[in-house]
Amino acid sequence: MNSLGRTTGDKIKSFLMFALPGTFVFVCVVIIPFLYGFYLTFTDWNGVAAVKNLVGFDNYRALAQDKEFWKSMGLTLKYVVLSVLLVNAFGFLFAYFLSGRIKKGQNLFRAGFFTPNLIGGVVLGFIWQFVFSQLLVKFGKSLGIALFSKSWLSDPTKAFWALVIVTVWQLSGYMMLIYIAGFTGLSEDVLEAASIDGAHGWSKMRHIVLPLMVPSFVICIFLTLSRAFMVYDINLTLTGGEPYGSTRLVAMHVYEKAFTARQYGIGQAEAVFLFFVVAVISGLQVYIGKKQEVEA
Amino acid sequence: MKKSINRLAALLMTAACVSSLVACGGSTKTETATTAAAAEGTTAAAESKEAVAPTEKSDLAGQSITILNSKGEIQTALEELAATFTEETGIELEVLSCGTGEVPYTKVTSMYSSGTAPTMSILDTTDVIALATEYGLDLSDQDWIQYCDSMTTKVDGKVYSFPFCVEGRGIIYSKKAIEDALGKEFDPASINSLDSFKAICEELRAAGMENPVVLSKEDWSLGAHQLGYIYDTNDGTTAGADKIMAALKDGSQKVEDYDRFNQFMDTMDVILEYNYNKEDPLGAIYDEDAMHLVDGDAAFWPNGNWAWPNIETAGATTDDEFGFISFVLGNDTADFANTSMQASPTKQLMVDAKQSTPEQQAAALEFINWLVNSESGQKGLVEKLQIIPACSNNTVAPLDPLSRDIVAKMADGHTYSSSFVAPSDHWSVVGAIMQKYVAGETDRAGAASEIDAYWQKQA
Repeated sequence: MNSLGRTTGDKIKSFLMFALPGTFVFVCVVIIPFLYGFYLTFTDWNGVAAVKNLVGFDNYRALAQDKEFWKSMGLTLKYVVLSVLLVNAFGFLFAYFLSGRIKKGQNLFRAGFFTPNLIGGVVLGFIWQFVFSQLLVKFGKSLGIALFSKSWLSDPTKAFWALVIVTVWQLSGYMMLIYIAGFTGLSEDVLEAASIDGAHGWSKMRHIVLPLMVPSFVICIFLTLSRAFMVYDINLTLTGGEPYGSTRLVAMHVYEKAFTARQYGIGQAEAVFLFFVVAVISGLQVYIGKKQEVEA
Repeated sequence: MKKSINRLAALLMTAACVSSLVACGGSTKTETATTAAAAEGTTAAAESKEAVAPTEKSDLAGQSITILNSKGEIQTALEELAATFTEETGIELEVLSCGTGEVPYTKVTSMYSSGTAPTMSILDTTDVIALATEYGLDLSDQDWIQYCDSMTTKVDGKVYSFPFCVEGRGIIYSKKAIEDALGKEFDPASINSLDSFKAICEELRAAGMENPVVLSKEDWSLGAHQLGYIYDTNDGTTAGADKIMAALKDGSQKVEDYDRFNQFMDTMDVILEYNYNKEDPLGAIYDEDAMHLVDGDAAFWPNGNWAWPNIETAGATTDDEFGFISFVLGNDTADFANTSMQASPTKQLMVDAKQSTPEQQAAALEFINWLVNSESGQKGLVEKLQIIPACSNNTVAPLDPLSRDIVAKMADGHTYSSSFVAPSDHWSVVGAIMQKYVAGETDRAGAASEIDAYWQKQA
C-alpha cells in the first residue's frame, strides 16, 4: 500500500510532487473565492465600492423577505423536478433502444442525440428562441394550428415549458451516453440466467436490469440535478426571464440582484443559500442512491 | 553598451518632454505642475498636450490604452475610428466590447476587481454616477467643456465624464408610409396632442393600414424609454425628474395620482389599440418591428434614434424621410411634451483614475480631445459612428434622417434635455410591469400600484 513512500518525509515529498499543484489551484479558484463570498454576505458591498461595511445578518433577513427570490426558487424547483424526470426518462429510453435493440444506424442515432450537448447553452438558447418565436409561429399561422400561432415565449406557462423542452433536448443525449455505458457493463451471464429462470420483458427489466443500473442512475440524477439548479445560460438567451419576469430562475435572480439591482451582499447571500440547498439535495440523493446499489 | 543606450534614450526623452513643454504657452507655470502631477496621476500632464494640435504625433505615441464600448451597434465603426486615431497620433487604442446580454456595469466592475480596468469606458449615465467618485478621473478643467457645458453630468459638482453622444426619443414616423396610405402631405408638426395622434391613427386605419403603430416589447424599451417619459416630462429637466422620483420614493406622490402617469397611460392605450403586434404583443420581434415600419405596413414606432441601424438594415436609405413626433401626452398643444422631443446625452466616456498610468490617462484625454477638435475625430463621430455629438463645435451634419431631425430640433429649441437617472434595476423591474400591462395581465391601477411598490422599496 505504501508504494509512494515509506517514511513521512517520502510521503510529504510525493504529496508535494503530485497533489500540491492541483490542491493549490483548487484552493485558489474554489476554496478562497467561496470563503470570501461567504464573508461578503455579511457586508453591504454594492459590487464596486472600496469600502465594505459589516452588516451582520441583514442580508439573510433581506433574503427571507425577498418575495421574488422565493418565487423564482419555487419555479426553479418545479423546473428541476420536471427536467430531472424527463431528461433521465428520455436518456434511459434512448440508451435502452440504442444498446442492442436497434442495430441499424445505431451509431448515427447515438451521435445525433448527443450532439445538442456539444452546443453551448447560449447559442442553443438563441437557436431555440428563433424556433419558438418565429419558426413555429410561421408554421402555426400558415397551417392554422392555434397552439403555435403565437410565440411560446410570450406566455408564462408556455415559456416555462420551452425552457424544460430545450433542457431535455440538450441533456438527454449526455445522460443517454452514461446509461449506454451502464447497459454495456451489464453482465451477460446474469441476464441469461434470469432468462433461463423465466424472467422476461418487464419483470426482467424491473427485477434485474434496473437494480443493476442504479449506479448509472445515481450519476445521471446527480448531474441533472446540479445542472438544472444552476441553469443560467439557456434561461438568459431563450427567455431572458420574460415575459414580465415570470420565467426567471433562481440563478438569474441572484445575478440580477447582485449586478442589476447592485445589492451584492443580498445577491451573494442568496447564492450561498442556493449552494446549501443544492448541496443538501444532491448529497441526500447520492447517499440514498448508493444504498440502493446491488452487486450482481 | 546597452546601459549607455538606455541612458541616452532617457536623456533624449527628457529633452523632448521639456522642449514640448517650452513650446506651448504658459509653460513655466505648467512645467513643475506637470512633473508633480504626472507622478500623482492627475490630469495636468494632459493639459499641456492639449495646446498642441491634436492631429500631430504626440509624445504619447506608443502608449497603449483601451476603451470599453457598451454601445454594441457602433463596435465595428469604433474599431475603425480607433485605427484612424492610432494612425494620426501613434497611440495604440484597443476597443473592448461588451458581449450580447452582458451588462456593461457588471463588465466594468469585474474588470476593476480583476485589476484590468479599461483606460476609458463608454457607459450609461447611471453607471458613471455610480462609479465616478471612486474610479473616475476629474475632467472638470478640460478644454472641451466650453462646447458642451449644458450637456455634462456633474457628480458632487465635478465633471467625471465626456458626454459621448446625444440621443433622443419620441415616436418615429415614416413620412412615405403615411403619405402613401393617405394620399396627401403629412406635416409632423400637426401631431401635437393625443387627440391629433389618435385622429391620424384612425385615418390610417380607414385608409387600409389596419394597425399603424409598432410597439416593441423589450423591457428596456417599455420600462426605461416609454414609461421614462413620466419622469422626463415632469418639467423637462433632469432636476425635475429627480424631484418626482424623490417624491415617489418618500410616498408624498402616488403614481396613480400623478398627471403625467395618467396621460402616459392614455397615450399607451391608444398605441395598444393601434398596435401592429396586437395579436401577440409580447411576441414582437425587434428586428421585425423595424421592417414593418420600413415596409410601410405601419407608420409609427415609439423609439429613439438608436433604432436607425435597425431601420437601415430593414431596407431604408439615409434619404428616406423618417423623423420624430413627440410622445404626445394629453391634449394641451402648448405643453412642451407635445411640442418638443426628449434629447440628452446618454452615453458617457469616463477615464479611469485608479489603474492606469498617468501617461495612459493623458493618452485617454488626448483621445477625447481628438474626438472634439480634430477633423477626423469630428467626422468619425458623426459619420462613422453615426452618433449625435454633444459638443457644439462639431458641425458635421449627421447622415441619418433621425439624427438630422434631432439636430434640427435641437437648433430650433424643440427638445428637452431631461434624462432621468433611476436606480439600476428600474428598467428591468418596471419593464416587467409594463410588459404585464401590454399583455393585458394587469390594468392601470394594478400597474400603478406595482410601480408605487417599486419606488417605496427604494426609500
